[in-house]
Order: sequence, then structure tokens, then C-alpha cells
Amino acid sequence: MEKNKTAKEIIETYNGPKLRIMEVCGTHTHEIFRLGIRKILPENIELISGPGCPVCVTPVSFIDEAVWLALEKGVTVCTFGDLVRVPGTKMSLGEARAKGAKVQIVYTPLDAVVYAREHAGEEAVFLAVGFETTTPSACLAVKKAMEEELSNFSLLVANKTMPKAYAALKGSADAFLYPGHVNAIMGNCVCEELAQKEGVSGVVTGFTAKELLAALAVVIGRYKEGKSFFVNCYPRVVKEEGNQKARALMEEVMEACDSEWRGLGWIAGSGQKLREEFAPFDARIKYKVPEVEGKINPACRCGEVLQGKCKPTDCKIFGKGCTPQHPVGACMVSNEGACAAYYQYGEN
Amino acid sequence: MCVGLAARVVGVKNGMAMVDASGAQREVSAELLEELEPGDYVMVHAGIAIAKITDDDESETDALMESL
Repeated sequence: MEKNKTAKEIIETYNGPKLRIMEVCGTHTHEIFRLGIRKILPENIELISGPGCPVCVTPVSFIDEAVWLALEKGVTVCTFGDLVRVPGTKMSLGEARAKGAKVQIVYTPLDAVVYAREHAGEEAVFLAVGFETTTPSACLAVKKAMEEELSNFSLLVANKTMPKAYAALKGSADAFLYPGHVNAIMGNCVCEELAQKEGVSGVVTGFTAKELLAALAVVIGRYKEGKSFFVNCYPRVVKEEGNQKARALMEEVMEACDSEWRGLGWIAGSGQKLREEFAPFDARIKYKVPEVEGKINPACRCGEVLQGKCKPTDCKIFGKGCTPQHPVGACMVSNEGACAAYYQYGEN
Repeated sequence: MCVGLAARVVGVKNGMAMVDASGAQREVSAELLEELEPGDYVMVHAGIAIAKITDDDESETDALMESL
């Protein structure tokens, strides 16, 4: 029936039951907006922006820990740039910098190792956040620091893994657009199991217009069949077994722990921490970081946005008190955040 | 921060690869991929090549649509 239709036609002419599709990855969210794909969706297809932006799901308490390390311990915080403006309970790292904190923006954790090597008189702490896509680079940085016997380098770790989050979000959508590059590392096994054992449907896809449209057409086609499904729509990058070297590296350096997600709360086994043999590189141990309970601005609805319970535009402070220039919530800070996408491109 | 960058490998040396992304060149770690050679296309995340790109999106999506 769909044989002679283009992907765009399949999407535009869908007239089945309401179909809620959650794009998990923040880059998918932005590309879908930027390419105008939302404009061609019929009313019975809803796209929900999920929790796949690492900055957005990093809890306030992590920012508070980093600010404490910078101001109380005098360490040089090395970080991806978009974490600098995320509000903490009292201040962001950017505001801490105005009070004298040393904050060094790096492109990769490997650059933080170089910084530590070249600044022997400073203590460098890299803020390790992100999913399976960025965790290997943090692991590689630790291994390099160990090889070089650098004693002034450590990680403040808040890395997370996606599978438990998918399960936690099971009822939020009828199908997921899985993040292509998480699967490039982890392979497709987890998503196949989710479809077979948990009834969670989804496709993994790339980021071009062709890929996104084809993936949505595949979701529609398979959803109509009425059974849970998984399809690899990004085989040019995602191989069945993933990147085994990266997986082995993560397994060697990190182990699973419970983790707090902004908006989703604590999810058992969804976080990563350094294994005991790498304890000298664990900033929480090295500096005896006190436990903190971060407090989010009560007006901010990022948590509900991340679960697809409300749209950014449903938040009272969206575009008023909270803008990319003066963000209140993490989803407005990051270029991958849903609020930033809605602000930049409008609701559609 | 969590953005993949597609790039062409220009050279490989000592576990590092020089890659070219639309004219901008940068050195990235090649340690997590086997048998990387100049001319290969890779996906780069946070300074590390995480996957080889083995096709273009046109033929990939053509094959997908055929399967529907």
C-alpha cells in the first residue's frame, strides 16, 4: 500500500490512531525543528522531546558540587562549555568564575589531561557528564592520566546510560527515535530486547532530513502492524555489535551506580562511577566532596518537559524569565535542550 | 557538547587521526576504531572517533523505503 509513496507522503497522509513519538536525542530535537519536519506532521502524530540532552538531565546538585570544588578547594574546573551557564542552587559555574573560580572550557576530556600536564601547579577536575557517546572519552582521559602518572587530574563523574531511562519512560510514547550515536557505541541488542521483552518500540536513526523522514515513515509503517518493533534505520553508522573497543574501555574504567536525572529522579543502575582501582582520579573521593541536595528554581518545569508531560511553551517563565541569554532551567541552556529549540524555532 | 561530527580522515599516526570536517581540521583520538585509513569517514564525539561511516544517507534511506 505504501510502496509508491515517499517518506514525506507516508507521514503527511497518516490517518491512524494517535501516535506519540519521543525523540530521545537533543540533536534530533533540534534537527527536526530546523528542517521544518514538525510542519508536515498531521494532527494525529505528536513528537515529544525526551531526556537525551546530557546537560539537561544533569541535576542541580552536580553543579553545586562543581562550584564547591572551584570555590572551596580552588581546583580548576575543566568542562564542556554548555555546563557553565546551568544554574546551581546558589550560582552557576559562570557566576562562580566571576567570584574568582577557575573554569577552563575544553572540547574533550583529553584536552583536560593536557591542561593538567601543562599546569602542574593546579588541580584540574574534569566534569564528566553525558551518555554512552561521551563516556569513552572520559575513560580514555583517566587511562592517559594514569599512564602519565598525573596526580593533579581527576573527574567529577555524572555519566549516565540510556537503557534504564527508556524503560522508565515506557509509557510516555508509542515509539522512540533512539539516539544514533549511543547505538553506534552500544549496538542494537538493548533496543531489540526492549522491543521483544518490554514491548517498547523504536527505531534508531541518523540526523539528516532523509534519515529523519525515512525513520518516521518506518515508525508509522511498523506501528500500523500492531506489534512492538525495533528497526535500525542508521546502518551506515550503527553496526549490530556497536563499538566493542569503546564498550570494553567503559567496562574497564566505570561501573554502574544509581543516578539522579533531572526530571526523572533517581533511576537504579542508570549511572556510571569510576571503579575502585581508579579511585585516585575520583574527585568526590580525592576532595571529600560533601553530599549536597540541589534545589531547583520552583518556577522551572524542565523536569516535566524532559518526561514529555508538558511542552516548553506551557511553562510560565518560558521566553519571559527564562531565555537562552538568561536561562533558569537546563533545557534552555544547552543547544540540544528542548526549551532552547522551542525558543529558537517556535512551537512548530 | 553531545553532538556528533562527521569528518574525513586525512592522516593517522600514533593512535591519533587528523580529520577534516568541511575544511576545518582537528586531531582526534583514533584508538577506539580498528584499521582507520586516510579517506575513511568517521563520526567524532568529544574528540574521539567512535564509528566509521560506511555509506551515504541517500542509498541508506532508499534501502529502508524499499523495505516498507
